[in-house]
Amino acid sequence: MRRSDVNDPTVFVVDDDAAIRDALSLLISLKGLRSAVFATAEDFLNTYCADWRGCLLTDLQMPGMQGLELQRTLAERAIALPVVILTAHGDVATTREALKNGALDFLEKPVDDDVLVDVLRNAIHVDEKRHRAADEHMQALERFARLTPREQAVLQLLADGLQHRDIAERLKISPRTVEVYKSRMMEKLQLRTLADVVRFGSGAPHSTN
Amino acid sequence: MNRAALTLSSSARSWLRIHDYRFGLPIAGLYFLAYVLVDALSYVQPVLRLDICPWNPETALTLAFLLAVGPRGLPLTALAAFTAEGLVHGMPAPWWALLVASVWIACGYTALALIMRRWGLPHPIESPAQAMRLAGAVMLTSFAVAVGYVTLVTLGGALPRSLAIGAIARYWVGDVIGILTLVPLLMYADRWRSGLRALRRGLPIAALQLGVVALTMWLIFGLNQSDQVRFFYLLFVPVIWITLRWGVPGAILSALAIQIGVIIAVQHDMHAPELVDLQFLLLTLSLTALLLGAVVTQRADALQRVATSEAEQRALLATAPDAVLTVSSRGWLCSANPEAQRLFGIDPLIGRERALQDLLPSFELLSAHGRAAIDGRRIDGSGFPAEIAWARLEAPATAEYLVIVRDVTERRRAEVQLRERERALSDAMRFAVAGELASALAHELNQPITALVSYLQACGILAAPLAAQDTRLALTLGKATHEAHRAAEVLRRLRDFYRNGAIKREPVQLSALCRAIVTAFHERLQCNAITLAVKLPAVLPSLQSDVTQLEIILHNLLANAIDAVCQQPVDRRRIELSVDSSTTAVMVRVRDAGPGIAAEVAHKLFEPFVTTKMDGMGLGLAISRSLLRAQGGDLLYEPDASDAGACFIVHLPLDPKAQARKVARIMSCGEAT
Repeated sequence: MRRSDVNDPTVFVVDDDAAIRDALSLLISLKGLRSAVFATAEDFLNTYCADWRGCLLTDLQMPGMQGLELQRTLAERAIALPVVILTAHGDVATTREALKNGALDFLEKPVDDDVLVDVLRNAIHVDEKRHRAADEHMQALERFARLTPREQAVLQLLADGLQHRDIAERLKISPRTVEVYKSRMMEKLQLRTLADVVRFGSGAPHSTN
Repeated sequence: MNRAALTLSSSARSWLRIHDYRFGLPIAGLYFLAYVLVDALSYVQPVLRLDICPWNPETALTLAFLLAVGPRGLPLTALAAFTAEGLVHGMPAPWWALLVASVWIACGYTALALIMRRWGLPHPIESPAQAMRLAGAVMLTSFAVAVGYVTLVTLGGALPRSLAIGAIARYWVGDVIGILTLVPLLMYADRWRSGLRALRRGLPIAALQLGVVALTMWLIFGLNQSDQVRFFYLLFVPVIWITLRWGVPGAILSALAIQIGVIIAVQHDMHAPELVDLQFLLLTLSLTALLLGAVVTQRADALQRVATSEAEQRALLATAPDAVLTVSSRGWLCSANPEAQRLFGIDPLIGRERALQDLLPSFELLSAHGRAAIDGRRIDGSGFPAEIAWARLEAPATAEYLVIVRDVTERRRAEVQLRERERALSDAMRFAVAGELASALAHELNQPITALVSYLQACGILAAPLAAQDTRLALTLGKATHEAHRAAEVLRRLRDFYRNGAIKREPVQLSALCRAIVTAFHERLQCNAITLAVKLPAVLPSLQSDVTQLEIILHNLLANAIDAVCQQPVDRRRIELSVDSSTTAVMVRVRDAGPGIAAEVAHKLFEPFVTTKMDGMGLGLAISRSLLRAQGGDLLYEPDASDAGACFIVHLPLDPKAQARKVARIMSCGEAT
């Protein structure tokens, strides 16, 4: 895997069976997705980097570290990669355990290619959505940090639903000054309407009170 | 002098014969005094003041003493005889002759005592042969003693040669009668209690008999007539009567009583005839009574033995658990014991003659003895399987054959049940093996099929650009994919067939089940000297499970444990089967003191085809765990740290239905996702 490709969404396949690994990665790449294969759970964990995107497709029954254990280790290391389980028919108890532990979905062997691609795309989509949400949150935090303490306070109180007059009274400034802070704050945060302000404010960290 | 061990015969009964009595001065003195005293009392009608009397009870005393103490008593008896010569008779002959004679007497009776002890005498006389033998030995010894004594005193010049023959006869009859009237009495000395009891029961008749004897004695001696000897024969009548009634003891006592009576009569009655004549008559009487008494005693013993044996046989027949029949030569029933009456439904009150043919229709008594398994038939016509044994009876028996019949209905039924149970178990075991094989096979084949399906689908995508040239390629790949899916589907159905086999839920008596399994292994455990400890709690919560499957599982675990401990030294051949319970589950533990399980095997112990045995398939544990998990339970392995053995735990939830519902719910959630 080339280093530059690392941030593109990839399906990480973990299976002890070489043929299954090979066939799945071929099929996945033909369906237009990137894939990377690992023979054991340990291999995957040793190679893993924090900026990997995509999803994990793992077998349950493997020599050495089993699928469930891998899932547990991921949780311990706070790796939020969505997990799709490859399961043999009838392995109910383990599948149930995996789903309880937060696996996104499971695929039954042998896998139909359309189902496979649907599930994997969905998993990648979930991963992307989560990353996008995390990114937006980060940006909001950055922009919020650019506000002065007064602007932050005005934003907070507006989000709590207070009128300009009440805010002025609470902050012991004139309503006119509140207007100034508000327009400067909205400019910095690139917010257009009051509704945007309330939405941003309720998501923002409560630095005061 | 040690108190020892001249134990002569194992049939020792009389106190006289148990061992040589240690005799100190008191016993010696007592014998000595008694000898001299009795000699003085019985010094009646001697020949020329010599100790040649027609009644010598002191000789009996000597013989009894020698019988008790053995040859060690010889010097004392010689001394006693010599002293009596001096004190009682006043040295009627030269001292040396009397001294030698005394030693001769002592030697003679010591020899007799030794011979009697060799024969196991004295103990109560039980047969005429014994009585004859005793009498013969006494007569011969006494004759030798008499000849020696008389010869010595004749040589000493105390007795004229002309009187020697008469003296020998007198001396001889005196000793013989003295011994025969007193020594047998000693043989009964340790039975005096039972004798007294018997006497108390027959006191009137004993008194009457004594009266008759006294009357006869009076007839002989009291009527003051000449020629009384003729009347002496009258005594035979009461003596025979007494002997017939009382056996040997009666004979001895009556002879003794008559002897004493005769002595008294002779001492006090001037009309008494020559005592020696009477003594010969009395000897005849005593011997006759003794022999007759022996016959009577023998007969009484024989009757007693027959009665005992008959009573035992009656009890045996009455309590026998088998039917016992006796059959006449023409095939008619002679007798049937209570069990036979019960088994065949014969009413003993309805005295109809029955043929063996009615009871055992397909049976004919042809050989002298044998065994057979045939059908019996009751009087009401119903049949039952029976085992019989028969034997031809010996001549004195009135019946020709003895036939023993045992009803084996229960045993047959138990055998059939056992066979059915075994078949069910082996069916279930085969099913479980097939299931495990199918499951393992399905898993192994599913892997390549999965790869195959993915490869084919990849090919389909790769071949898409060529589809315009030849549509058959895409079509063929589609078909190939379909077939691979079909193969996977077959495997899935195969596994489902075994996996979802209906699990019976029935109440399980776990304690009884454990005991039954232990019983089934009883022989293997014994053959290999294995100790199996079974620990069952008094109370177990009620359990719902599949009994046959549980049996398979416990059977597997116990068989494994036995294989494990068999390679161990005998003191480590221990297995423990214990059951305990919590609020949610019951645990059955099978712990063995075998070599344990190597760590590299332990983690894959429950996978199919993993085995540590040379001839094992490696399916037992895998099947057991699969079966338990399907029931909502589990099978766990616990290495035994302290004892280096292995412990398997069967975990059975108390409410497996709830567990199963939970599984079903999770499954449906999973599929909906």
